[in-house]
Amino acid sequence: MKLDVLILLLNIFLPFAAALLLFLIPKKVKWLQELLTLLVTVFCLAGAFRFFLFNIQIKYTLLLFSLGNFEFAFDIGTNSLNSFMLLFTTGFAFLISMYSLRYMKGKEKRKSYYIFLLTALGGASGVFVSNHLLVFLLFWEVVSISLYFLITTGGKGSRQGATKTMAMIGAADGCLLLGIGILWYISQLMYLDVITLPINSWLSAACFVLLMIGAITKAGAMPFHSWVPKAADKAPAPVMALLPASIDKLLGIYLLFILCTKVFILPQGLLLTLMIIGGITIVAAVMMALVQHRLPHLLSYHAISQVGYMVLGIGTGLPLGIAGGLFHMLNNAIYKNCLFLCAGAVEHKTGTTELEKLGGLAKAMPVTFISCLIAALSISGVPLFSGFVSKWLIYQGLISGGHGYLLIFLIAAMFGSALTLASFIKVIYSVFLGRTSSVSKKVKKDVPLSMQLPMLVLALLCILFGVWYTLPLNAFINPATGTVPAAIGSWNSILAVILLAGGLVIGLLIYLAGRMFKKARRGSSYVGGEELPAEQARVPGTDFYDSIRSMQPLSAVYKIQERGALDPYNWFGRLGLWCSGLLKKIHNGMLPLYTFWTLLGMGILLLLFIL
Amino acid sequence: MDLLLTGVYVLFFPGFFTILFLGLISSWIERKVTARVQYRKGPPLLQPFYDVIKLLGKETILPAQGSRLVFVLAPLLGFVGISLVGVILMLQPLLQVSFVGDLIVVVYLLTLPSLALIIGGAASGNPLASQGASREMKLVLAYELPFLIAIALIVYKAGFKIDLQSLSATPVMGSVSGILAFIVVLLCVQAKLGFTPFDIAEAETEIMSGPYIEYSGPLLSVFKLTQSLMLFTLPVFIITVLWGGIHFYGWGILWSAVKYVVILVIIIVIKNTNPRIRIDQALKFFWVYCSLLAVIAFGLAVVGRAYGIAWL
Repeated sequence: MKLDVLILLLNIFLPFAAALLLFLIPKKVKWLQELLTLLVTVFCLAGAFRFFLFNIQIKYTLLLFSLGNFEFAFDIGTNSLNSFMLLFTTGFAFLISMYSLRYMKGKEKRKSYYIFLLTALGGASGVFVSNHLLVFLLFWEVVSISLYFLITTGGKGSRQGATKTMAMIGAADGCLLLGIGILWYISQLMYLDVITLPINSWLSAACFVLLMIGAITKAGAMPFHSWVPKAADKAPAPVMALLPASIDKLLGIYLLFILCTKVFILPQGLLLTLMIIGGITIVAAVMMALVQHRLPHLLSYHAISQVGYMVLGIGTGLPLGIAGGLFHMLNNAIYKNCLFLCAGAVEHKTGTTELEKLGGLAKAMPVTFISCLIAALSISGVPLFSGFVSKWLIYQGLISGGHGYLLIFLIAAMFGSALTLASFIKVIYSVFLGRTSSVSKKVKKDVPLSMQLPMLVLALLCILFGVWYTLPLNAFINPATGTVPAAIGSWNSILAVILLAGGLVIGLLIYLAGRMFKKARRGSSYVGGEELPAEQARVPGTDFYDSIRSMQPLSAVYKIQERGALDPYNWFGRLGLWCSGLLKKIHNGMLPLYTFWTLLGMGILLLLFIL
Repeated sequence: MDLLLTGVYVLFFPGFFTILFLGLISSWIERKVTARVQYRKGPPLLQPFYDVIKLLGKETILPAQGSRLVFVLAPLLGFVGISLVGVILMLQPLLQVSFVGDLIVVVYLLTLPSLALIIGGAASGNPLASQGASREMKLVLAYELPFLIAIALIVYKAGFKIDLQSLSATPVMGSVSGILAFIVVLLCVQAKLGFTPFDIAEAETEIMSGPYIEYSGPLLSVFKLTQSLMLFTLPVFIITVLWGGIHFYGWGILWSAVKYVVILVIIIVIKNTNPRIRIDQALKFFWVYCSLLAVIAFGLAVVGRAYGIAWL
């Protein structure tokens, strides 16, 4: 066995082994769990980095058994697509385990947190490198189950969110299994790299749709999104940052990407379906985010909304759009991870995530503030930050399609971007700017260095990928898609940076010309000459968008949504209750009725036999 | 040598200092016309320059509450953003430089002044400024929808081109849908400028200039400069995407100036003949009526293309 294969196997199975070891270590032992997790993630990161850096493409197959046509083989391999996925997955896991050193300190469920963090890492790595569909599904399941347990580490009340998550993702995984079954039935193939299926029948279309449901539920696109906010309710912030915000996005979009570009040859109709899902997700989810009052809820709705861009980009079916979608997946994983970590830092310091109770933290927590601001500008697509570049590629993809209807999606995507900005203005204002609230007055210091570093690294990546966007495009995206999109506009970001710097210098010169820094004086706020009491002078950011909320017909839609009428989880819940209600009615305990049912059943069976 | 020349273009002509000068002149025109509408004499030509210089000499007061760093840096953000737009828009006709997708870059950069105002106001810790910041953000959301529909329409009419050069070569105004788009974009520009009837975020008589309330001295002067830059840049943007662009050669100079003055005067007249509306009214105005107008224009354009009717 070659060294590369060994490293790849270790990359998958070392986290599992470490998780098993952690399971055996008693809970009371301090620092060992943390240390082991950190070491394992460092090792995995180094391994993934090696694969990526030297562009090692290997293939390893271990045939377990075969049954007629069917082969069950442990078939793994790396290529330029999955090695960059692997790199970022392990990178995120490393940053999160560093962040957790202090965040999870003294938390009750620390042990199971680290165990399932490792299994999630191993599972995700397995998904990316496995080539056999069933092995793929197996690892995919491992991630789903790890997510369930990770959410429950949030303590009291977190089980509800975990159950909903498990129910929805589990159902989607069922769809995935069914889809794989149909795929096998149609093509008699189980290896991802050899299947190329034109969609020419209802069965193959159904197969694609089932697999797609599995992918977009994992990524959290509408209408299968509602597990994300529910999970965010009580789950620890690093869990949200690691799985729903980053790795689940990578997994879901990775699957969608290979489905759309490699496994299936899609007709226009299905691509349009994808684009409609994307467009609606972008706008509807961000409209929900606009009116949220709690930081995790708000962020999770954004996590949903951003998936819309990726699905939209991939749905264009054009090289530019697909590259944009894939790039957006990467960017989103980075800034959304950063945002959740910032939310975690704020919660760690203040003990609350209610936007209403926070405010004015910028002074006490400068590093958290700066990272959050950068990530917020990035997700809103402000030029020179990473979100802008990938959105810009998606827009170009839409326009290069050259159809009028594509412009509708363009409008939805660009307007969604404005709404995102608005929503993050609310976050920045109500958490970091504005007046200090009674809760944030108690905060004197920023979070410890081990929590600052991951946020800073992610924020720096946001700037790096925004300014030198050719770097990630050439290093990750173009090799992964295998094409270099031709009509790519060269937004000369370096020149823009120089111009921006020039503008800043001119602005500062104006300040200096005014001898501002010598003459500056501090004064308290002027409110029409009145002295307002501290609490009255505070305008909470939560009611920033009340006039949008109360506008007809939006207010009606918001009300319907709040009742949960737009959530498929509730539909199926109600369907289940209705079915069991029906069954209850049949069971009324009367003997004649039961006899009647028995006789009826026998009659039907008899009829079937005769026919 | 090339680098030096580019530097001169970007910094002096037709770049930064030119648009700054023209912006200040535009704000003089604005004040003069406003004064004439109100039967006043109006300020002398150099008044906007005096104002800026005077503000530079004034004392700066920083808020005791809120975040000072953000408070000081926010004006620069908007200033830099709008300067960048100005330079892109002015360099394109002179040097014929354009890159694919610069339209999108410009549309995004145009939100930076509003963003700067919002962040600056939020950082000041003043409740009235917070109120104003919230209104400004809602106003951005309000006008952005019809604005984007109109931009999409322009892209459609220009044959899916998103570089400014091709857009300025195809005047969209020569058709019904183009004129409707012009009206929509003009109204959005009115809101972007924060002029009456959309001066909701500032509302001097109500929340005392909103986000600007705590700004003084050089900081305020940068905001004032940003406003005058917008007053020049936004009409130029309209001309570039809708009205055949501006030109630096021969009669084109005069024609460009005429177009610019026409748009400026329309904006000023709207400003002086309307009362301020409330933010919920503005939301409704833009999201319902303006967007409807833009959608109708889009529909007309689609029909026009399908049946080959050029004037639609």
